[in-house]
Formats: sequence, C-alpha cells, structure tokens
Amino acid sequence: MLELDAVHSYYGDSHILQGVSFTVQEGEVVCLLGRNGAGKTTTILTVMGYITPRSGTVRYQGQAIAGLAPYQVARRGVGFVPQERGIFPSLTVRENLTVFSRQPGSALQAAGQAVKGASAPRAPWTLERVYKVFPRLHERERNLGFQLSGGEQQMLSIARALMLNPDLLVLDEPSEGLAPMIVNEIVTVLRGLKNEGLAILLVEQNLHTALALADRHHVMNKGEILFSGTSQDLERNEDVKRRYLAV
Amino acid sequence: MDIYLAQLMNGLVYGMLLFLTAAGLSLIFGLMNVVSLAHGSFFMLGAYLAFAVVRETGNYWLALLISPCLTVLVGLVVERFFMRRLYRRGHLDQVLLTFGFTFVFFDAVRSIWGSDIRKLAPPVSLEGSIALVGGMFSTYRLFLLAFGALLALILWAVMEKSRLGAMVRAGVDDSQMAAGLGANIPALFSGVFGAGVALAAIGGVVAAPVLGLYPGMDGDILIPSFIVIVIGGMGSLRGAFVGTLLVGIADAFGKAYVPALSLFLIYLLMAVFLLVRPQGLFGIKGGVAPAGMVVAARAALSATLRVKVIAALVLLALACYPLLVPDYQRTLVSEIFVFAIFAMSLDLLLGYTGLPSFGHAGFFGLGAYTVIVLGALFGLNGWTGVLIAVPLTALAAALIGFFCVRTSGITFLMLTLAFSQLLYSIAFKWRDVTGGSDGIGIPDRPNIFGWSLSEPIVMYYVTFGFCLLCYVGLRRLIASPLGHAFIGIRENESRMRAIGYSTGLYKLLSFTIGGALAGLAGGLYALFNGFVSPEVLHWSASGDILIMVMLGGAGTLLGPVLGSAIFLLMKNLVSSYNDHWMMIIGIIFIACVMFFPGGVWGILSSRIAGRKPDSPPRPGTTPAEGIASGDKAPTGAAPGASMTVDGAAR
Repeated sequence: MLELDAVHSYYGDSHILQGVSFTVQEGEVVCLLGRNGAGKTTTILTVMGYITPRSGTVRYQGQAIAGLAPYQVARRGVGFVPQERGIFPSLTVRENLTVFSRQPGSALQAAGQAVKGASAPRAPWTLERVYKVFPRLHERERNLGFQLSGGEQQMLSIARALMLNPDLLVLDEPSEGLAPMIVNEIVTVLRGLKNEGLAILLVEQNLHTALALADRHHVMNKGEILFSGTSQDLERNEDVKRRYLAV
Repeated sequence: MDIYLAQLMNGLVYGMLLFLTAAGLSLIFGLMNVVSLAHGSFFMLGAYLAFAVVRETGNYWLALLISPCLTVLVGLVVERFFMRRLYRRGHLDQVLLTFGFTFVFFDAVRSIWGSDIRKLAPPVSLEGSIALVGGMFSTYRLFLLAFGALLALILWAVMEKSRLGAMVRAGVDDSQMAAGLGANIPALFSGVFGAGVALAAIGGVVAAPVLGLYPGMDGDILIPSFIVIVIGGMGSLRGAFVGTLLVGIADAFGKAYVPALSLFLIYLLMAVFLLVRPQGLFGIKGGVAPAGMVVAARAALSATLRVKVIAALVLLALACYPLLVPDYQRTLVSEIFVFAIFAMSLDLLLGYTGLPSFGHAGFFGLGAYTVIVLGALFGLNGWTGVLIAVPLTALAAALIGFFCVRTSGITFLMLTLAFSQLLYSIAFKWRDVTGGSDGIGIPDRPNIFGWSLSEPIVMYYVTFGFCLLCYVGLRRLIASPLGHAFIGIRENESRMRAIGYSTGLYKLLSFTIGGALAGLAGGLYALFNGFVSPEVLHWSASGDILIMVMLGGAGTLLGPVLGSAIFLLMKNLVSSYNDHWMMIIGIIFIACVMFFPGGVWGILSSRIAGRKPDSPPRPGTTPAEGIASGDKAPTGAAPGASMTVDGAAR
C-alpha cells in the first residue's frame, strides 16, 4: 500500500536520502532501523509530505503522493505519530483526541479502498474504544496536554493517530526515552493493532522493540538502505547488527 | 462617585474597541506568527465603508453588516494573493508586506474620503442617554459595552467550546503537527485572518461614532493594540481581553486625573509587565525567533579590482556632482546623504544583528529635536547641538534597548514601535519646548571653517563627508570581532549564547550604536532642514526608513544608501506629478518584498560580481539559502518541538 522508489530528499543543499526504496504491504509492520542521522526520520517526513523529494516516487494505495501537503497525505488515511509526540499543550486530552478525528472510510480513504478492492473491515476507533485500550488517558481526560508525563504523551499521540481511523500508521521512535514498563505497554498495544491487520511503518533504534513487532526490517545508514530482511534474517546477520546497530 | 463611574465607563468602552482589534491581531499572531500592521487599516477601512453605506442608505445597522463583509473580502485578497506567497519566507517579510499595504489603504482612504475628520452619527435608536446607578450614560456607549462583551463571549465560546476553535488552538500550538493530522493549514490561516479582519472592521464601524473618522486612525488603534498584546500575552484571547480592560481603564483614569502623565501611563504599564512577566499575562509564546529574517542579502562583496574601480568612479562622480547642478538638486542629494546615514544605522540592527526595529525614527527625531531645541531655546551652536545629541540618543537607545533586547523578532518590533510612539507623544504634547504639532525651527545654520551651511553646496559636502565617514566606520565595525558577534546573533542567538556570548549585552550594544548613529543623522537633518516637527518621530517615519533599507537590500551597507536614494528621489519625483505617491511607494514596496527580497543592491551586486542574479548562491554564505532549508527542514523535522518549549514555559 506504500511504495517508495529511488527517493532522494534534501535539506537545502544537503543530500539526505540517497535513493531510498521499500514497500509496506497491506497488514504488514515494516521497521526502519539505523543510528542517529541515518535518514530514518527524513524518510518518514518525506512520506508524510513535510519534505518534497527532488526525485523518485512515493505511492500510497497506488497514487503518487510526493509533493502533496502533509494534510492531504493524512487525509488519505495515514496516521502520524512524530518523534516528539506533538501533543497540543493547550488542548485537553479529550480535545487532542477529537480535534482532527475522522470516521473510517471518509471520502479520500474510500476512493483509495475502491482502487484496491474491498479490504477486511477493521473495528472503527472511537473515543470509548481508545479509552478502553488506554485507560490512563480516560483518567486524564480533562488534563491539558502539557500536564502529561512522557509515557502518557506517547500514548496520547498514538491514540490521537488512531482516532483518524488510518489505514497506515507511521510511528517515529515510539519507545524513545520511556521507562521499560511503558515501552512494554506500548509494544502490546502496537502488537494488537498488527493482529487487527493495520499496516504500520515504524522507526526504531531499539532492536528488541523492532524484533518484537516488525515483519520486515530495513537498516539505513547515510541515507541509504543497506540491509533488508525479515526478523530472522536480521537476527542472524551479526555483521549488520554490529556495524550499523552497535549491538 | 459618578465621576469615577463615568471614567470607568469611558475606560471600558475604549477597552472594548481595543479588544476588537487586539483579539484579531493576537489570534493572527498566535496562528501565523505574523503581526499584521495592516490590522489598523482594516479598522479604518471598516469605519469608512460604514460611513459610505450610512451616507447612501442612512441605515447604521446595514452598515454594520455590509462594511465588515467588504473589508473581509479585501483582507482575504491580501492574505490569499500576497501573504500566502511569502509563507516559505521569513515572517518579517510578511510583516513588511502588511506595512506596504498600510500605505495603499491610507492613500486610498484619503483620496476617496479626504483628510478631514468625519463624523458618523450613532443610530437614532441609540441616541440620548440613560440614567443608571447614579449617573447618566450615553445609550450608544452602553450599547458598545454590551455589544463588545457579547462578541467577546461568542469568540470565547467558539474558541473554547467548538471543534473549529480547538483546531485553531491546535494550530496555534503547533501548526506543523496539526497539518500532519489532516488540518488544512492554508485554509485555517485564511479563515483566522478573515475572522481577525472582520473583528477589526466591526471595531471600526462601532468606534466611528465615538472616535470619529480620519486617515491616521489606523495607527491610533494599532499602537495601543500592540501594547495590549504585549501586556496580555501573544496569541491569547484571555490575555487580549484582560489587557484591553487594563489599558482602557488606565488610559481613561490617566486622562482624567493625571493628564500630563496620561500618555506615559500605558507605556509604564507595559514596561512593568515586560520586567516582571516578559511573555505577558497569559502568553504561551515568548519572542518568536526572527525566522530567516531580513537577511535576504548577499554577504559583503569581494573586493575585486572591478569593484574598486566602480567605487572610485562613483565617489568621483559624487564629489563633482554639486559643481554641475543647481541648488535644488544639491539639496535633494544632501537629504539623501542624511537619510543614508539613518538607513545604515537601522541596517546595523536589522540586517546585521537581526533586530527588526520599527521605532528607529525615535532616535533620529530625538537627535533632530536636541539640536533644534538647544539652538532655539538656548541659542546653542548647531555643531555643539550635534555633539550633545549623539551621546543623548545613545543614552536613550541604551535605556529603551534595556527593555527591548529582552525580546526578539515580532515582540521586539512591536516594543520598539511603542517606545518610538512614546517619544512622538512627548514631542507632540510638550508644546513649551517642542512647539507641539507646529514644530520648531532655528533662525540660522552654523558655519564650518567659515562657510555657512545655508549654502547648499557646503551642506552637500558636509553631509557627503559624514555619510562616507559612517560608511567606512560601519564597514570596519562589521569586519571586527564585535561585528562578527552581531552577525552571529542574527544567524543563531541561542548558539551564540551557548558558546559563551552574553547576547543580551551585545544586542544592547548594537542597539545603542545604531541609536547613536540615528541620532547623528537626526542632528544633521536638523542642520539641513533648520526645522523639525513631530512627523519625524512618527511610526510611519520608522516604516519609511525600514522601506529604504529593505528596498536597497538589508544586511549590506550600500543597500540602505541606495534604498534611501531611490525612496527620496521617487518621493520627490512622484509627488511633484501625482498626489498618490504613498500609494505608488506602497505598491513598489510590496512588489519589492515579494519579488526582490535581496533589494536593489542584491540584484546589482550579483551583476557587478559577474554572477547571474538567479545563479545558485554559494552554500553557507547567503542567508536566502538558509531560509530555503530553514523553512522546510526544521519545521518538518520537529513537529512538536516548539510544543515542548511552550509546555516548559508554563
């Protein structure tokens, strides 16, 4: 459902992504691994439309989306969870969840679904369902965004993306800077989403989290993908793990 | 008792009118990071359009409906076709763009409705007065209070209770993140800008019966609105509301009980707030970093032989010029030299230190007034006057700078504007010394080495000499370690702080030097003109000089010189053929901001250096390149980063 083909992205004159190609299939969890500065976040920002690639194509559900504004990408059914979580500080938890929420199958998404044929309907995300998955958010419903802890912010950020009823969830280092217990909780939630058939593009630095979730992995270095393979491939490849992941 | 009540009433009414403009200004700022200087113009436009509708139909209520709608249309055109094209550029470019529009609207209003003060009668049903708790109150003022309160309530409900309001607040918090969740940011910007314009226009319509209509009412509402926003906090509706009531009441009681000090009262209020709570009462945003700033200018030109030859030729031509032309042209070029010094002094702040001062005319005027007042009242020689004026303006700049350099970007711009308006008010009100609005003059000009400055040719060479001196001095300053510190602050203040520069001090130093040079220019202007009136201190004078700098090319030294030449030549040429020179200057300025961000000098210098103007800039040297990457990359790279700061600020 998501295809990147020979994507080159720049910050000003600096050539960051140097020909990145990979795909995310329906219902699949794909992970981008690599050190700081490898180009993982840049890849995600290119998918989301924050950065327009200078060459190469980005396709989502068969349509070219490179050059679209972020809001147009989001409205095609992509849920975005950025690295800094991006909680709106002056909105309450509830407002954060509802402010941009969408019903499943809104116009643009429906168009996409029609193109690729009927997909297995997933249960729609509502406030009640989100609160059931993240009871902590229910307790803090009336708190303002800036009053949350890091873990709560991460949960809210994921929950907020789910409220868009996306077909593809894009997460940038959801485990970063969180206590192990919270990471476990988030991994459990993400695994549940995976079992439900939601496609996920995940950026991770933590190999254990990546192996626990993803079907396929791409290891990046200096703006290029140097290794692609399944979890088993990655676990066996000591060379890649040592050289690019410092394990 | 009822006197207190009456004053309170006046204060509340004025506060309500202020609220309508300040609320829109604050919302627009919060969401778009742009201070719309044209906001006062929309207030004025709203009032005048209502005046026109009432004259045609006689129906005030119809005017209250039609005028804001028309004004919003105008506002949307400005947003959609002009500001939106500059979103990728620094926010200051958009601010300057709105300033260009103040010229256009001012000229339009003046040519359609004339310069006289017009009156708009309140609707018949609201004439007369009503007796209430121990006093008689004008019905119309009571209506104003209720109407303003109702609008504030509606605005509050929409912002706090509706999903649309939540979207706007989310956009204010972090527009990039909102975009990533599906918020159509351009549409949101247009909507908020339109709503802000509507509020200002409604404010103009309901204010007209109380305040009257005159070209210039735009500035009179804009400046207090700025003060309100500084006090209340940027981007906060609650702040705007509390701020307007504070300012309105302080103003009313000040005028009634301490009329001599009334003008200072709201400035005092502002200064206190700045010291105690720089982010304002309810502010969540501090000074926004001047993203990309002015800097759309080329780094100093490499001193090739070709350049040296051209420079020598130009100097020779300027030295011979007065020998060949009549007095009128000598005088004109002398004036250009004076303003070139003034423009260069502003460029030290704007182009080199990244401080967008919108109150630089304050120091120019202070210098000019010092020379003239000392000459007229004490018979002091003009040169002695200049010698006193320069340290005096330096002192004033240091004092004002002490408050202003705590902020940066747009807040800095608004503060400098407010302080210069304070100086303007002093010059306007202190009749015994300054002659008030009539201005004041000196009987004769001093000599230099036995030649009288009354001779245009002597004046020419004196101003030429000073201009050259300033140019060389500033060039050396900018090449010095101190100058490099200034440029470092412009490029990245927090990084400079991190490597151990006390940036506040350096900014203050830059501000003081810039102020002193403006004072020098003002002093020379006094000798040149022999007369000074409050207009030289007015905020539009600060805008003029800003235009000269931007027109020529900020961040260079020759740019401002060239800009002042073009501006003054144009003003003289166009105004001798055509009454609408303000309109023409405004349009040229708008075009310049939109299409030639590097200014005339930016285009010329690339030609002289033998590069095509559109050839790719050398990496790392041209700030324009920094904007291109700085705009998309950091915003994209860090949705939510600004949020972390905001959250911490609470």
